[in-house]
Amino acid sequence: MIHSPLLSRQDAEAKAGGKGALSISDLNKSFDIGGQPRPVLENINLTVQPGEFVSIVGASGCGKSTLLRLIVGLDTDYSGDLRLDGQRIATTSLDRGIVFQDHRLFPWMTLEENIELALLNTDTPKARRAQIVADHIALVNLKGFEKAYPHQLSGGMAQRAAIARALVTEPKLLLLDEPLGALDALTRVHVQNEIQRIWMTQRSTMVMVTHDVEEALYLGDRVVVMSPNPGRIRRVVDVDLPHPRDRSSPLLHRLKDEILAELTSGADTARAPANLVHLPSREDRG
Amino acid sequence: MTAPALSRLPVRVALGFIVPVSLILWWQAQSGGHDANFTPPAALAAAADMLRDGTLPADALATLRRAFTGLLIGAPLGIAAGVTMGIWRPLDRLLGPLLHGLRQVPMIGWLPLLGLWFGVGESTELIVVSLSAFFPAMLNSHAGVVQVERRFLEVGRIYGFGLIQRIRLILLPAAMPLILTGVTQALAFAWIASIATEILTGAGSGLGVTMQLAQVQQRLDVMLVAVAVTAALGFAINQIVQRLRRLLLRWQPASL
Repeated sequence: MIHSPLLSRQDAEAKAGGKGALSISDLNKSFDIGGQPRPVLENINLTVQPGEFVSIVGASGCGKSTLLRLIVGLDTDYSGDLRLDGQRIATTSLDRGIVFQDHRLFPWMTLEENIELALLNTDTPKARRAQIVADHIALVNLKGFEKAYPHQLSGGMAQRAAIARALVTEPKLLLLDEPLGALDALTRVHVQNEIQRIWMTQRSTMVMVTHDVEEALYLGDRVVVMSPNPGRIRRVVDVDLPHPRDRSSPLLHRLKDEILAELTSGADTARAPANLVHLPSREDRG
Repeated sequence: MTAPALSRLPVRVALGFIVPVSLILWWQAQSGGHDANFTPPAALAAAADMLRDGTLPADALATLRRAFTGLLIGAPLGIAAGVTMGIWRPLDRLLGPLLHGLRQVPMIGWLPLLGLWFGVGESTELIVVSLSAFFPAMLNSHAGVVQVERRFLEVGRIYGFGLIQRIRLILLPAAMPLILTGVTQALAFAWIASIATEILTGAGSGLGVTMQLAQVQQRLDVMLVAVAVTAALGFAINQIVQRLRRLLLRWQPASL
């Protein structure tokens, strides 16, 4: 059952400007560590279709969160090309929303105020804002908690509120940076279902970073598998199943095993031992 | 769950009175007539006299007015300076060293200098009180703004906040716990500075002036009354400020 207070797909597409097509080409990013440039993202090429849900999985350190920070515009120090609907990304914009792993609600504002602040710099008429905020609170099933402060919400509720805050501006592109990473398994499943429902309602483009392969497959039209040091795209897996999905689908399980095998062993086996700790053996001390 | 018995209000008030009342009883038992001025009944009689002729309320009011005027001058200036320096680095670099140097001078250290410039009177007292309120307000506000977490500022960037929105919706509320700590300290310092400057300059009226006069006149009873009223008023002001703080910071979890 989908109650839809939000824009339908057609309305969303009819909005002025583009539709949320993301293109990443030859993207490179490095951090300066101790005076040495250290590459974190190398030669990333990816095109995301309007309305598509793309999941990105990879071990920690593969630069997936860095990639989202670049796309949302919080970090603009990169080489290569990052475009949303043909426009180069040079700063933050209300076209792009993001949900972080930590909910980042302002502790000094009520749930309602936290969501409404996203509309401050939009051209939404002031008279309609309260209604839009109420609709989005209902969308993430938080009715009755409008006046609650973040410390009065559970982790799952706070994260749903953060999702509502990100959605309220109707961004063409919504980025999700391990949004469920801090939740317990049961709440996770619940919020995953909710994200799927919202995505099917809104059909805005979504890119979600996660370290949970199952979650990536359950939600994504495509799953981008990344390898670390430096972060590269290793493989893109198509998940050719209609939404809403059945968690017990054999295809999802087969793909999960495949991706997990790739993540844990991988093509660059030669490098794997470098991650192990080598204790100096007694003979070496001789 | 009921509140633990020890934290209920009437119980707390009763507990708070045990030690002061015991001290007074002990004092009464000790005062074996050698100094007629220095007994609880004498002090009570002096208090009644001072209430009747109106000097006690007038003194308390004068000191309160001095402390709050100083607070109202010093604390807003301190908050403004601290917040501005916290937001705008160049100003911090420019004024920080000077202000941190000046604050090393105890408030009483300003009296001789200001006395020479402005004369030993109300204006000198007020300047010292304002200065006393200024520094704690400035230091805490500065620390509060500097410590605002980057993750909250990033949310502001994502939703296109301008400078005013950033200050009003993120920096000030996030810094509010420390700003209020600064105001609480500023009030305590202003109160202490008021009494101290009154004692040292003896100008105008006030609890400190009365203490000083009582010393000259060897009136131990009057001195005790002034000290007791100073303590009680300071305590009451602090209670009010703590209430206000809890009201303003109701968004914080109760444990903080």
